[in-house]
Amino acid sequence: MTHTMRGTVTIVQEGRFQLIDDRGVAHLFILGHAAAAEPAQLAPLGRRQARVSVRFTKPPHCIGNVAHSVTLAE
Amino acid sequence: MDMHPRAVRESNSERHGPIANESELTAGVLIEPGRSYGFFTDTTLCIGCKACEVACKEWNNLPADHLGLTGNSYDNTGSLSADSWRHVRFIEQAGPKGIRDNAQPSFQSGWLMMSDVCKHCHNAPCLEACPTGALFKTEFDTVVVQQDICNGCGYCVPACPFGVVDISTLDGKAHKCTLCYDRLKGGLEPACAKACPTDSIQFGELGDLQARAEARVHNLHDRGVGNAYLYGAPGTPGATGDLGHLNAFFLLTDRPETYNLPVAPTRPANCVRPSFVSGITTVAALALGALAIFSGRD
Repeated sequence: MTHTMRGTVTIVQEGRFQLIDDRGVAHLFILGHAAAAEPAQLAPLGRRQARVSVRFTKPPHCIGNVAHSVTLAE
Repeated sequence: MDMHPRAVRESNSERHGPIANESELTAGVLIEPGRSYGFFTDTTLCIGCKACEVACKEWNNLPADHLGLTGNSYDNTGSLSADSWRHVRFIEQAGPKGIRDNAQPSFQSGWLMMSDVCKHCHNAPCLEACPTGALFKTEFDTVVVQQDICNGCGYCVPACPFGVVDISTLDGKAHKCTLCYDRLKGGLEPACAKACPTDSIQFGELGDLQARAEARVHNLHDRGVGNAYLYGAPGTPGATGDLGHLNAFFLLTDRPETYNLPVAPTRPANCVRPSFVSGITTVAALALGALAIFSGRD
């Protein structure tokens, strides 16, 4: 099942990033292998503390989310 | 250990920016490109707290996986994986084994604990196997996977003689310890070494670490721990099969296989020539045999 979340990119490591949602809760995302984004595109988002909208799924046996697309929220 | 002179000047807890060359204060080493750095893991000091695992996951933003209990001692990480770049292994030994080479009460088990990690081999087989150049040697003599270049072919996985490299099922790319490449570039010691409360994991320049490790082995021998030895330092078990030395080496007190380490790791590339020669020889022998059989039929 695909979900969508909006928030601010705060930390970026390789293809992984942390998103702070509007309630101030941190979520971990891993860029999926078929995602419409590259790991190299995440670093500028982290530096800008950009607000983004992430479409993701929740993998089993893992505390994290797989991001399928990352788009600028505004 | 004496306090570093800089520690006196940097003692103010209120700061307005990062501390330059912080590793000089925390690990006693200045990180400079062009030099070799690594880990010396002294397993006799490890208390199994897993602070290194947590620090690694926190800094590298790695997801928690292997949820649930493994049933294997107090270790619920299981093994090194794409999402676990440090793994504290728990080895429970009943009876007079391990570092306590004496009689023990029956209720007390002999514990061996070891924080395992990528060995950052001098001649790294994963790097040799990588067809895209995603794996490379950094300016600090460490081995790192470049995530934007890795195509997830997985050749590095069987090439690693220690079973360290793993492909993530989430992003389809190879992952392993980077020896905190980003921290080294910023003058910080790796997160696991900084978090280790007993200094079981020591970070430093390789020559210094090897000298420190040899002194520690002699010290342990003098104190009655005669089974202490180094694994992965030059001329020791682990530094075999043309791997050169391991930048992350260990002090062990039992056989390598007890810690799930190979006794004599080797470069897979060493098997190419013998395999090629044996293959050609087999084909030639079969061809000669077929020739002899068919030439004799009239």
